[in-house]
Amino acid sequence: MESYIKYLLDSTIFILEGSVLTVKLYAVTIIFAIPFGIILALMKISRFKTLRYLISFYTWVFRGTPLLLQLFFTYYGLSIIGITLQPFTAAALTFVVNYSAYLTEIYRAGIESIDKGQYEAARALNMDYFQTMRRIILPQVVRRTIPPTCNEAITLVKDTALVVVLGMGDLLRSAKELFSRDFAITPFAIAAVLYLLMTTVIVYFFRKIEDKYSVYE
Amino acid sequence: MKMIEAINVCKSFGAHRVLDNINLVVNKGEVVAVIGPSGSGKSTLLRCFNGLEEIDTGEIIIEGDVFSKKLSKHSRDQITNKRKREISMKLGMVFQHFNLFPHRTVIENIIEAPVTVLGMDKDEAIKRAEELLKKVGLLDKRDSYPSKISGGQKQRVAIARALGMNPDIMLFDEPTSALDPELVGEVQRVISDLAKERMTMLIVTHEMGFASKVANRVIFMDDGKIIEDCTPEKIFSNPDHPRIKTFIEKIAKR
Repeated sequence: MESYIKYLLDSTIFILEGSVLTVKLYAVTIIFAIPFGIILALMKISRFKTLRYLISFYTWVFRGTPLLLQLFFTYYGLSIIGITLQPFTAAALTFVVNYSAYLTEIYRAGIESIDKGQYEAARALNMDYFQTMRRIILPQVVRRTIPPTCNEAITLVKDTALVVVLGMGDLLRSAKELFSRDFAITPFAIAAVLYLLMTTVIVYFFRKIEDKYSVYE
Repeated sequence: MKMIEAINVCKSFGAHRVLDNINLVVNKGEVVAVIGPSGSGKSTLLRCFNGLEEIDTGEIIIEGDVFSKKLSKHSRDQITNKRKREISMKLGMVFQHFNLFPHRTVIENIIEAPVTVLGMDKDEAIKRAEELLKKVGLLDKRDSYPSKISGGQKQRVAIARALGMNPDIMLFDEPTSALDPELVGEVQRVISDLAKERMTMLIVTHEMGFASKVANRVIFMDDGKIIEDCTPEKIFSNPDHPRIKTFIEKIAKR
């Protein structure tokens, strides 16, 4: 019994070391993809036709091809034309660009769901475009898009496991290594618990923001 | 003093002519009720005065400053957007559906524009907003969110919000049309109070009783044209136009 507990602890620590990378990649993606998503959404509904088409093309490509393929492309594909990236850089770049595409469409829909009376009221009070967006429209958009953003945030936790294909040691890979070494199911169970732990924290976090924002409803 | 002047203003939505060569002068302190069947262009006219709609041709002058001037539908407005914004500061607007900012409390709704647009000091803005709330009788709702107050209260907050920018002219676009009948009175009272203070106002309304009480001038619009412009007494007792008579009788029957 005692030896099993020790085995459990050692395995968990080993897998936790791998999850450092998972958390890093997660943080980088969230920190960049959310603001990018908002900015790109604003560009996608702007009055500049070329810009709108450009962004539509971008979201079409990145939502329409597998994330795995995009990872291959950034890491292996670009190296052929002379752009060699570190695995982490390649992964982070791909994840940010991929998730920004999804978030762009979420925020675009959010912005378009705001009643046009809100714009008219702001205009009648002489607020300019930036004041209207920053003070009136976007706070309401953020509130409305919390649930879909939370969905993306949860999917992202699990998508980070794809970086194994770039030979990176993340949470899942550590578990897989222990499995190969010990031929035991425990490492996978530990990995599952750790993923669940992370998604639980994320859901809790989003619930808190939702509560904070829903006071006005 | 001329507060609003419209010269040969035309506007179409597609093939439909909403404003057909409108000429109108509103003087300081006048309370003008704009009545007429729906689709006659009343709201559009109001919305052209503060730039929510762009005119096709014609000229709009606000307190002596040219606010909008276009020679043809596809030519550019000769007035820059920046200049338009400066001039439209003189107008406040109240909408049929209130359009309060739902994520801001009552007081935050009122101080929003004075602070972000005029750069007013926040404490000063709050003090002014509280005075305005007292005026519309809603100081106790200071920290409520719009979703927590009634339609009549929302509209009174919307009026306070518009007054917060210190306008010289107030535009009301069917201010009581979205309200339950028992809430109409409280909003009309606030508007009547403003009329007593000699605020220049344009009120698009279907409430004929209110129009005859508060306005000193009534405009009847039909099919994009002003077909009558006279005192309330005349329009409600002895209108020249048979069209107006039928309309007023129809409304009275409701």
